[in-house]
Amino acid sequence: MSEALSAPLAGRGAPAVPHPGPPMIGMAGVTKTFKRRDGGTHLALDTIDLDVAPGEFVSILGPSGCGKSTLLYIVGGFVAPSGGKVTVSGDPVTGPGPDRGPVFQEFALFPWKTVLGNVAYGLREGGLSRRDAEARAGELIERVGLKGYERFYPQALSGGMKQRVAIARTLAYGPKILLMDEPFGALDAHTRIKLQNQLLELWERDRKTVLFVTHAVDEAVFLSDRVAVMSRQPGRIKEVVAIDLPRPRHRDELLLDRRYQRHVIDLERMIEDPPDLAS
Amino acid sequence: MRAVAGSLHGLVGLAPIAGLVLAWQVLLTAGWVPSALLPSPGAVLARTVASLGDPAFLGHLASTLYRLAAGFAIALAIVFALGLAGATSRIADAALRPVIRVLAPIPKIALYPALILSLGFDDAPKIILVAADALFPILLATYGGAGAVEQKLLWSARAAGTSRAGTILKVVLPATLPSILTGSRIALVVACIVVFLAEMITSTDGLGYLLVRSGRAFQTVDMFVPLLAISAVGLALDGALAAARRVLLRGFPEEE
Repeated sequence: MSEALSAPLAGRGAPAVPHPGPPMIGMAGVTKTFKRRDGGTHLALDTIDLDVAPGEFVSILGPSGCGKSTLLYIVGGFVAPSGGKVTVSGDPVTGPGPDRGPVFQEFALFPWKTVLGNVAYGLREGGLSRRDAEARAGELIERVGLKGYERFYPQALSGGMKQRVAIARTLAYGPKILLMDEPFGALDAHTRIKLQNQLLELWERDRKTVLFVTHAVDEAVFLSDRVAVMSRQPGRIKEVVAIDLPRPRHRDELLLDRRYQRHVIDLERMIEDPPDLAS
Repeated sequence: MRAVAGSLHGLVGLAPIAGLVLAWQVLLTAGWVPSALLPSPGAVLARTVASLGDPAFLGHLASTLYRLAAGFAIALAIVFALGLAGATSRIADAALRPVIRVLAPIPKIALYPALILSLGFDDAPKIILVAADALFPILLATYGGAGAVEQKLLWSARAAGTSRAGTILKVVLPATLPSILTGSRIALVVACIVVFLAEMITSTDGLGYLLVRSGRAFQTVDMFVPLLAISAVGLALDGALAAARRVLLRGFPEEE
């Protein structure tokens, strides 16, 4: 994108990792307008172009109200775009599907189901017998560190535990893509760091494609291969920044890493830029 | 600690009831009301307990319970059918809401004469009346609850492979269950009142009939036995509903 701006880092605006075939997620000219109460229209997303390669971890970073969650819901097939096209492995998105697993800030666990029932839900929907589904769900619950809580109802769990259940529920049906909508936004700082580490561990093991919406700069830098910075009103992608930090990443090493610090400072500046008030 | 607090709560709740009974007794003891018109609470309680061994009384109790249960079951079945229709089709939903709003405030007991004319003096008109009166509190609560289902629960299910139609039974119904049960609790009280009234108007059995018959025979103690009985029935059914609620809504946040 705008290479003319000061470019202290190599890799800014870098394209996706080269790969054969169509991108895992392709967003081309995606727009979204909402009808306002007064009859006018509000342009929430303005021609979003972004490709995500298979196995890539891409964050969408932006201030609240920039439409980043709406973009994620469009990729999920929950919300229809007003214009443009979204593809997954080249196929147009027409609705939700188990190839794209969402994780929401609000956890959205089924309160009438136990931890085991929640995690087994997608497996049962996929046609597995109760026994097989529960066995597989048990493994996932163990993997997110909640062994022993299978028979608990979500309301008895802390926020961090709920979100681990939600992640296990989504991983259970084996989506190719994880769509994470500020998943750690409702958690306290300590829990957030713990879950970031855990997510990174999980991801570095099976390298799913992740689209991760956040407003936290350090979180985006810590986790991502690339960060798409969005601006507000209308929601546009301002810049795409490649995060050239080695993996596996460890928080204690990263915090001392100059490149990490540089990325955080640059991105913070980018979101803080005052909106264009050219009127 | 919690058990102590709980039993304290129970005692506090009992106090006004004890107060009412005491006031009742005071009215008599002070001679403000002649005991020929108002029997003493002790006499009523003793007669009620004695009635529990009387097959005739138990027959009347059973008739009332049967009408309550049948009417309630019909109401629930209608709620289920209308809820399903409203959740499946926007047109059905748009058609149903206004008609429910229009019918809800009508006093259903006013339909009773017409029901008797068309259905006779048997159980049928009473059951229909109970169903009609129980229906609306449940229906209105259900509509409110179904409209407030968290969208992200639906999305989570859709992403996990549930079809749009499938979410009605797998997400909307369980998510609406708290509202359905809250509506049922209100409907139960209404149903107890209306079944009694219907039996008072025309019947040859049931608790309401028993009250009218005792009144005509100037048996004042017997007049109060059905009232005590319907109160106990309401209390017991409400307790059963609360127990069902605790089991069915194990995972939901407490609502007191």
